[in-house]
Amino acid sequence: MKDVVATVKSNKIIAENVYMMTLTISENVGEIHGGQFVNLATGGGEHLLRRPLGVMKVEGNDISVCYQLKGEGTKKLSEAQEGQKLKILLPLGNGFPLEGKKKIAVIGGGVGIFPLIATIREHCADKEFYSYMGFRTKSAVCLLDELEKSRSLTVVTDDGSFGEKGNAVEAYLKDAAKLGADCIIACGPPVMLKVLKQKLNERANKIPCFVSLEERMGCGIGACLVCVCKKQNGENARVCKDGPVFKINEVNL
Amino acid sequence: MADLNVNICGVNFKNPLIAASGTFGFGREYDEIYDISVIGGISTKGMTLEPRQGNPVPRIAEGRSVILNAVGLQNPGVEHFIKYDLPFLKQKGIAIVANVAGKTFDDYGAICAKLDGLVDFIELNISCPNVKAGGMAFGIKPESIKEVTRTAKSSLRKTPLMVKLSPNVESIPLNAQAAQSGGADCISLINTLTGMAIDVERRTPVIANNTGGVSGAGIKPVALRMVYEAAHSVDIPVIGMGGITCGTDVIEFMLAGARAVQVGTANFTDANAMPRILAETNLWLDRHGIKNINEIVDTLKLN
Ligand SMILES: Cc1cc2nc3c(=O)[nH]c(=O)nc-3n(C[C@H](O)[C@H](O)[C@H](O)COP(=O)(O)OP(=O)(O)OC[C@H]3O[C@@H](n4cnc5c(N)ncnc54)[C@H](O)[C@@H]3O)c2cc1C
Ligand SMILES: Cc1cc2nc3c(=O)[nH]c(=O)nc-3n(C[C@H](O)[C@H](O)[C@H](O)COP(=O)(O)O)c2cc1C
Ligand code: FES
Repeated sequence: MKDVVATVKSNKIIAENVYMMTLTISENVGEIHGGQFVNLATGGGEHLLRRPLGVMKVEGNDISVCYQLKGEGTKKLSEAQEGQKLKILLPLGNGFPLEGKKKIAVIGGGVGIFPLIATIREHCADKEFYSYMGFRTKSAVCLLDELEKSRSLTVVTDDGSFGEKGNAVEAYLKDAAKLGADCIIACGPPVMLKVLKQKLNERANKIPCFVSLEERMGCGIGACLVCVCKKQNGENARVCKDGPVFKINEVNL
Repeated sequence: MADLNVNICGVNFKNPLIAASGTFGFGREYDEIYDISVIGGISTKGMTLEPRQGNPVPRIAEGRSVILNAVGLQNPGVEHFIKYDLPFLKQKGIAIVANVAGKTFDDYGAICAKLDGLVDFIELNISCPNVKAGGMAFGIKPESIKEVTRTAKSSLRKTPLMVKLSPNVESIPLNAQAAQSGGADCISLINTLTGMAIDVERRTPVIANNTGGVSGAGIKPVALRMVYEAAHSVDIPVIGMGGITCGTDVIEFMLAGARAVQVGTANFTDANAMPRILAETNLWLDRHGIKNINEIVDTLKLN
């Protein structure tokens, strides 16, 4: 975990309101795993908080993140020019624990697909990924070339403008029995994760399921207790340090 | 390089930079980024007698050059600190300031008694609601500041007492004097300014608690004025904070009368903020040929 200065290598639009930024980091920051995130400065001095973004790709000294335009911070990020320096704190949090797993179902929605892509990239040589990715509409669909590193890929959209009409959770559940995965990993909007939890529990799902959560952050490293989620046992967990990946039945969604 | 040691109430800080309460946990996480033994001291997360879960999320929001937070004093309780975090901090060789809070006067007395002799300083966070006074914070009126200070002080035999003033008050001079007359050994300020951030799409406040404490670079002018006022209304030492982000900010607070400073929100903007600010402070002192940092304290020349 280091706070370093990175150089913007490229920053381009990859779908409607979604950008991919590649940053070159000359310092050694240690291994980065799929599901981990970074805390990126926006480059705007008035923004005192970093923006937490999942790592999408690591290639040599370059790391890529993808972000959807939301408010002031992501707007500022979208204006970053090639060669600009941005501070970045990384790697943060825990990745998806896939030791011993072979056949993994991947459920992603919206910007939740990015940390899942990093995970697929990291392990696709020795594990099989079966991906179910949901987007709002055709213009939001992106990074199909990365997603296709999965053994199979099902893309659905809310309005049916690309792939089948529907959502990623339904699409997975339709296949679940015949797929026989030994693990599920998921990341997406809170409502998607909530529905996933409910449906898995209704079906008395036995295979482990890990989800990656989002919460507003301060320090990003576990010191300020700003980013908590509630665990099923009533205790608080820090999304940044104890997560962002949790067992689906360990946390309240 | 100038001598950076500062001595406050008999406690030595190897330099005047103290991590501000609530932004630095109990030091472990930042110690994964740099060896925290380089800083002068740490003020711990605000502790209570019993563990507390704190407020619902979102607990944080951002404004321009400021942030707002409402963590609600989530903490593992003072016993946990003594057993688990204190030994870690002791081995770091930095001054340990235990920031404490309570819901009643008795709470303050009891938590001070538990920590007496174990830490270098106790810092009273008096910006918390007094349940018996209809939820009005202990730190608003001079009378209750004096009483809470006296209660805490009477439970302390060994450890000096720092009272942390709230800025959401009528008079900093009167409140600083109330702390002094209640027996405070020193004063720190400012705690956060109460504020609000609004999400226009949802038409709700961003923070679950509706209001939150404003901190960060944007509050520095207000903090400086208040630190100046406090330092010039009491005889006990004053520790300044509020929006410090660089070396010259430290110098400004010390010129205004602070004997040391605390750094909070800047740690979020830059995880290496404290070592960087320390280096910048040193550079400024060297550039001005100052051999001992204590020389600059309270040397502001008013117009
Ligand atoms: C672990 C983690 C990984 C993430 N990965 C990605 C990703 O790969 N791609 C992506 O597009 N988004 C991701 N997000 C969400 C992303 O952090 C927010 O969309 C972004 O911070 C919004 O910033 P803004 O300034 O544009 O929005 P504003 O609403 O103006 O931001 C105001 C403040 O709220 C915070 N904030 C707002 N929304 C969120 C949110 N959903 N989660 C956390 N903080 C928020 C901002 O960081 C900032 O501090 C992730 C969030 C977390 C916690
Ligand atoms: C997330 C957060 C948590 C805080 N928690 C506490 C606390 O527990 N006790 C306390 O006395 N002050 C607390 N503070 C206030 C800071 O210690 C400090 O007084 C304030 O933030 C102003 O300094 P700054 O602008 O450098 O952050 C907190 C501040 C922040 C940002
Ligand atoms: S953001 Fe500070 S503890 Fe998670």
